Amino acid sequence: MNAVLEIKNLSVTLKRGGRDVTILDQLNLRIAPGEMQALVGESGSGKTIAALAIMRLLPPGAAITGEILLNGENLAAAVEPRMRQVRGKSVAMVFQNPLAALNPSRTIAAQIGEAWRVHQGGSAAQARARALELLDEVGIPDPKNRLNDYPHQFSGGMRQRVMIAMSLACSPHLLIADEPTTGLDPLIAQQIMTLIARLRRERDMAVLFVTHDLSVVQEHADSIHVLYAGRSVEWGAAAAFFQHPRHPYSEALLGSVARLGQARLRNIPGNLPEPEQRPPGCRFAPRCAYASAVCSTAYPPADAQGATLAACFHPLPRTARPAFAETLAPRPARNFAPLLDVTDLGVRYRGAGGWFGAARRLPPSLAEVSFRLGRGECLGVVGESGSGKSSLGRAVLQMIEYDGQVTLDGHDFHAMAGRAKRDLRRKIQVVFQDPRESMNPRMTIGEVIAEPLRLRGGLNNAARRARVEALLGQVGLNPEMAARHPGDVSGGQAQRIAIARALAAEPELIVLDEPTSALDVSTQAMLLNLLKDLSLKHALSYILISHDFAVVSYMSDRIAVLNAGRIVEMNETAALLSAPRAAYTRALIGAAPQLQPMQA
Amino acid sequence: MSEAAMLSLSKSLGGRLAGNATLKAGLVLSGLILFLGFVAPFLDPVNPYTIHPSHALQAPNGQFLFGTDELGRDALALLLSGGFTTLIVALPAALLAFFIGVTYGFLSGLGPAWLDRLLMRLLDVVLALPSLIVLLFFAALVPQSNFNLILLLGLISWPSLARLVRNEVLAQRGRDFMLAARQSGASSAYLARVHLLRVIAPILVVNGTFMIGDSVLATSALSFLGLGVQPPQESWGSLLQGALDIAALDPWWLILPPGLLIFGALLAASLTGQGLLQIWGNKR
Amino acid sequence: MMKMILRRLASSCLSLFILVALVFFLAHLTPGGPAYSILGQKATPESVAQLNQRLGLDQPLLKQFGLWIWHLLHGELGYSYLLNRPVGQLLWVYERNTLIFYTVSIIISTALSIALGLIQGVWFGRWPAKLIGAFQLGFYALPPFFVAAMLILWFAVDVHWLPASGIIDLRDPHAGIASFAAHLVLPVTTVSLLTVSSLSRYFGEAVHEELGKDYVRTARAKGVSFASILFRHVMRNALRPLITILGLSFPYIFTGGVIVESVFNYPGLGWLMWRSALSQDYPILIAIVLVIGVLTVLGNLLADLVNGLLDPRASYE
Ligand SMILES: Nc1ncnc2c1ncn2[C@@H]1O[C@H](COP(=O)(O)OP(=O)(O)OP(=O)(O)O)[C@@H](O)[C@H]1O
Ligand code: SF4
Ligand SMILES: [Mg+2]
Repeated sequence: MNAVLEIKNLSVTLKRGGRDVTILDQLNLRIAPGEMQALVGESGSGKTIAALAIMRLLPPGAAITGEILLNGENLAAAVEPRMRQVRGKSVAMVFQNPLAALNPSRTIAAQIGEAWRVHQGGSAAQARARALELLDEVGIPDPKNRLNDYPHQFSGGMRQRVMIAMSLACSPHLLIADEPTTGLDPLIAQQIMTLIARLRRERDMAVLFVTHDLSVVQEHADSIHVLYAGRSVEWGAAAAFFQHPRHPYSEALLGSVARLGQARLRNIPGNLPEPEQRPPGCRFAPRCAYASAVCSTAYPPADAQGATLAACFHPLPRTARPAFAETLAPRPARNFAPLLDVTDLGVRYRGAGGWFGAARRLPPSLAEVSFRLGRGECLGVVGESGSGKSSLGRAVLQMIEYDGQVTLDGHDFHAMAGRAKRDLRRKIQVVFQDPRESMNPRMTIGEVIAEPLRLRGGLNNAARRARVEALLGQVGLNPEMAARHPGDVSGGQAQRIAIARALAAEPELIVLDEPTSALDVSTQAMLLNLLKDLSLKHALSYILISHDFAVVSYMSDRIAVLNAGRIVEMNETAALLSAPRAAYTRALIGAAPQLQPMQA
Repeated sequence: MSEAAMLSLSKSLGGRLAGNATLKAGLVLSGLILFLGFVAPFLDPVNPYTIHPSHALQAPNGQFLFGTDELGRDALALLLSGGFTTLIVALPAALLAFFIGVTYGFLSGLGPAWLDRLLMRLLDVVLALPSLIVLLFFAALVPQSNFNLILLLGLISWPSLARLVRNEVLAQRGRDFMLAARQSGASSAYLARVHLLRVIAPILVVNGTFMIGDSVLATSALSFLGLGVQPPQESWGSLLQGALDIAALDPWWLILPPGLLIFGALLAASLTGQGLLQIWGNKR
Repeated sequence: MMKMILRRLASSCLSLFILVALVFFLAHLTPGGPAYSILGQKATPESVAQLNQRLGLDQPLLKQFGLWIWHLLHGELGYSYLLNRPVGQLLWVYERNTLIFYTVSIIISTALSIALGLIQGVWFGRWPAKLIGAFQLGFYALPPFFVAAMLILWFAVDVHWLPASGIIDLRDPHAGIASFAAHLVLPVTTVSLLTVSSLSRYFGEAVHEELGKDYVRTARAKGVSFASILFRHVMRNALRPLITILGLSFPYIFTGGVIVESVFNYPGLGWLMWRSALSQDYPILIAIVLVIGVLTVLGNLLADLVNGLLDPRASYE
């Protein structure tokens, strides 16, 4: 069959810090009409750069070599005026974060209409009519009355629909979507992916979608192309890939994604190399469990022995059961001594408005929330954004005012004051989503971890330093890290440091507020495993807040489902997953992007 | 500023100073201006107030390197003593305004919500009055002396810094690391002293630098208008005014040097501040 | 939208009230109190006593304040004995000159700033932008009186192209429009040079920032030409901070004015303020502080409202 897009030996070089750095190396890729292909990789693997290269929208100073054939025409050699004719007409693109990607001060009718008029000409009225058609097609309710609205007047999911409508204006042959669902709630994300899948079927349009989320790929893609550190490692039919991944990186990646009922996630040791520090030969070699001497001599050629192609010297045989398949095991039920008791918790924020403190009353963000938590237990809290997850965590942490009771070890926080209250509060620690935000950028890592020790007092300098080193060791970091600044460590390392800081206060409970959602899959797995081990070792309790059902189910003994500030369902993890009672829980589980369990 | 904050500042400064041309230029120029203002006047033996009627209004020559003014005073000596006067007024005034602004900003940013509202509303109004206008009003009101001038400039030039500090304090005090520290038992005083100061210090230093420039400009402007430094003392502003009164005689040697020196002082502050901003700016 | 406007109006009224209270306080600071500040320092004790009674200055402070506002609302800004005219009348004559001067200056500087800013934003980091950047830095650090002095030295003294100062009396009906314009050239140039140096920088940075935003990439991905992107998408968003700054810098443009007007002997409000400060003519000083405060509050309000029209999000909070 004729390919819509065929990329041959595409390399991209960018200017970084005054030097030329090759970001993307010898990419070869083919998409047929109506095919949905996923371009997958962790952050920094070069996915976005590849997508932008096709559109020739790379940042200034970029150089490309190789061929980008769109319906036979080489875009890599096309001049800018020609590219302007191609963009939006033959190839269209949908970006991540639609709020930023739409112009805030122009109506959506104007923005959609513009996409059409640039190529088709026509009057303003015709463009409006076209915009109306398109909005209807992507499922905006009551499109006629929304034409003159501005982007900020739409919800996140609706904005992404507007973006998609805009990209369809001239019926392109190829749609490139760069992480179209990242940042959206799972329920909404699923709707968007379904929409894209429907549109490509109806229009026989090829889709290249860029993502780091393997579960989305499994559900929607025909074929997959995996990048690691700027090079292709495995590509071919999606179904075959998920059944028998052949590249060690693919296998490791699939093993580190949380699935329902999984007992242990797979760790990938080490970090992704920066583009300047990519190793010679196979780029995965330093982290690969199967590596041999030959691996670092040259980049491995593609191996075609299986259903997919893998660039590896020692690909997994076609029949092998991937290592992670064995780790599925039921979790034993445990008994816990009581620790935390939350009764009738309610939170109501004060509106910002009003003069001289006459605050407006807002609806409650949290109401009638009651639960108990045992020593060493992990309670998962899930819900859509705005459902009150973080408010729950902050109330337990005593960071905001609340109604009701929070009792730790039999002491009610509302009945305490002064030093005693501060000492009790210290027993509950917190780990935030953005690991860098949670450390003062002008302190050293050592100072950050030592702070709780210093605040509690009772240790001299030497003892403190020894304790900091021990804590760094506990979270799997080198003691030499203590001298560095937060700006000089990776996201995963920063999150470990945040955990070490929390441990320094010798807490009984840690509130984990989306602790892994800013991290890459492989880093995520490492962190979740660390947290699990720490909990077992120190009988630590967690309240784990996340929108990711799979992560929560991997970690938690029990799960509470929040909707509009109330707990709609709370149960043991296994029971909640297998027999959800509330309709809302069922919807959440249905939408949760998660890899299917391996077939036996 | 705490010692640790100082240390971390100077450390990050030392590393990158070498790479930043703007900052280097600013510091060199600042050094030059400070030398001219505080050292050179005491190296020059000529009395600026001695009048040589026979040598009035001479262009630069062998005897008077910078020429003479219409009274026959040595222009170079006037320039140096005028620089001393300008800086001795402008620097303490900037310091005073800096402390008022920082205190006001911290009070507003850290205090209870009602205090913040009150202070900010007041600030809105104060900012609505251009400082030069208010300066003129008070300059007319109080008896004129250098000391009063310092007080006046200091008491009037702080509002914009106050707002900046307050906004920054508000932005920083809700950051995750502040919350985490509080969770470990940190008191408000500890948070302000250790965390807030460290992250805000660069902004304070940069804006303190800009403030010095503003203060030199205000001192010169007031003197130029005849309401600042009073005769027989001269300042760069009043020298420029004097020369401009006889502009029709084309006394370029009396106009250029004081003008260029004020320009140099403002440029020094501006370059230093921007250089510091470039070094620290992107590192939150 | 309506709600936003009402809120801003109410908030401005509150600011105005505090402003008036502050100025009342200032008036009490002047030697001899407000009576002197109204009658001038040369007033006789009898006339002061008389006025005190008439204005109710023997009444409690709160009542005095009320009366003061009452007089203000009736346009009674006091009487300048030095110039022997009611302040209200005087102000208007000078304010008119200032308005002409500044309207011209602001129009010129805004147009220039937009042009320079566009160049700077589009060629950011390359030599045209660097050249403009050097100009901005240089003129930003130049004191206004020095710029004025240099212009006088060159254009009025050396080459005699233009008049050095506004010796011309603008109230003279025989002056003629050409002479009037000639007298405006140097002052307007001075103010414009200084204003453009900071205004164009803000605008240039805004254009550069907007050009880096995601929606520009979206527009490029649609096939929109660069000129269209610049003028249809970027301009409008980049103008917003410029308008805020124009509103905010209103008083600062004016303060530059005291100096420029005094150097060029241009009989505007700044010049009047300066002369009054030198001769300690408090009634005028107080009236000007009040007028400028009011203008500033109104300037901010106006900027907010215009931005509200430009930015659909503003109406939403
Ligand atoms: N404008 C740029 N200038 C210099 N380097 C860049 C630029 N944009 C991206 N890079 C670098 O190129 C590499 C690949 O970037 P790219 O954005 O393609 O990654 P990605 O796979 O899309 O990652 P993510 O999942 O985080 O979006 C990264 O190391 C990144 O730092
Ligand atoms: S080539 Fe070698 S190092 Fe690379 S993935 Fe294959 S086995 Fe591992
Ligand atoms: Mg990307």
